Amino acid sequence: MSERAMSGGAMQAPAGALDAKRKMEKSFRIKGIFIALMSGFLYGGYTAFMTQGMATGVWADWYGPASTLSAFALVYTLSSAGAAVNDICSAIWSIIYAAIIGRLGDFGRSLRSKPGKILILAAVIGGPLASTAYVVGLQMAGSIIIPIAALNAAIGAIIGRIIYKQVLSGGMIFGIAVCFAAAVLIGSTGLTGIDGFSAKTLLGMLAGFLAALGWGIEGAVGGYACCMVDYEVAIVIRQCTSGLVNGVILVSFLSLIGGDGIGSGLALVGQALVDAPSIWMFVIGGVFASFSFKFWYKGASMCGAALGMGCNGTYAFWGPFWCWIVIGLIFKNPDYAIPWQGWVGAIVMVIGIVILALSQDRASKKEA
Amino acid sequence: MKPLNFAILKYFTSGKEACRADVQEALKADYSGFRAFKDKAMDEALMTAASNGLIEESRLDLDENGNLVIYYRALEDGIAAINSYIKD
Repeated sequence: MSERAMSGGAMQAPAGALDAKRKMEKSFRIKGIFIALMSGFLYGGYTAFMTQGMATGVWADWYGPASTLSAFALVYTLSSAGAAVNDICSAIWSIIYAAIIGRLGDFGRSLRSKPGKILILAAVIGGPLASTAYVVGLQMAGSIIIPIAALNAAIGAIIGRIIYKQVLSGGMIFGIAVCFAAAVLIGSTGLTGIDGFSAKTLLGMLAGFLAALGWGIEGAVGGYACCMVDYEVAIVIRQCTSGLVNGVILVSFLSLIGGDGIGSGLALVGQALVDAPSIWMFVIGGVFASFSFKFWYKGASMCGAALGMGCNGTYAFWGPFWCWIVIGLIFKNPDYAIPWQGWVGAIVMVIGIVILALSQDRASKKEA
Repeated sequence: MKPLNFAILKYFTSGKEACRADVQEALKADYSGFRAFKDKAMDEALMTAASNGLIEESRLDLDENGNLVIYYRALEDGIAAINSYIKD
């Protein structure tokens, strides 16, 4: 909520109106927090189904011992192709859903506007660019970049403060720090340590930071744009942009620099899109992604970037949680059980969000 | 024709205060068929714009049925922000 947020303080009002407004404001706020939390929860479903999809059907062959793909393609082109297939499924679903709820006309009308172009840029930065930086970072520096990438919520809060003059008090910064510590704790079980600081490790950590920066920018900028563009329209813009850029430009670029021939990435995406054993998981993942990202934007537009992205940060817990349910319990893969750090981290994260929300309440009232 | 949300915000660049019903009355010729034109969705769009500082609440009232009516207006910087993002 901005510092110029609904105040209600000195306003003249007939008896009963102020109470009714406070009630309306409270329900708006609760809805905003709920939507922002749901974005993190649903992100876990998207992660789980995409991960399982990328271990099934044609993907199992590609990653398997008999694979004919180059080492570069196995790491970079395939991750990008996986994201592309998911985003394309998600874009198609988002278009269908927008048509059902009568938003397709506004999609065309918004696309050419300044907020529409800002959303396209935010989608490119937070979609293909940040995701690639994340994969590159993981490859070069290892899992040490997981906590670095978790800085995205803090970066979003700073951007919201600087560009959009949103409220950011000391208490809120403390809440963000608690959430960050929880994300680090949850991610710590995947940490393998680093064998000394080489230039490569540092470059990888820089790539991880770039991913956090990209997601921070996308959350803050996309969230603000959603006070102008309907979030049901914004999600169509986001997923179409991300699907096209990932599925056409990025995979082609990666297959070119990997020396596999410019068309090989496109061929992988094409094969994955018609692979019956795996594509249905990408379709489910795409539906989850559509709701998760639109709630991310909507949550940030209703609560401000700091609280919106803090609530979204629960994906750090919901990701492993959904993977445990879907891949561990349903597909019987024992590698996905959640260690104690995950559960403790989840509780710490809830505490962090409560601190963040209460501090924001106090700060908004003080500034109003 | 602009997207509905753009039209709502542009309406406030006149600087006059208006409640949700006033906005609906002004925009009904073009937008009454839109699903997002319903009261609840319109209220949410106005509250989101207010919480991001584009418009602000100017006054509260109760209608004849005792329902809350919130009046909003855009101040100078809000009008400048709306006009910089949304062209005519």
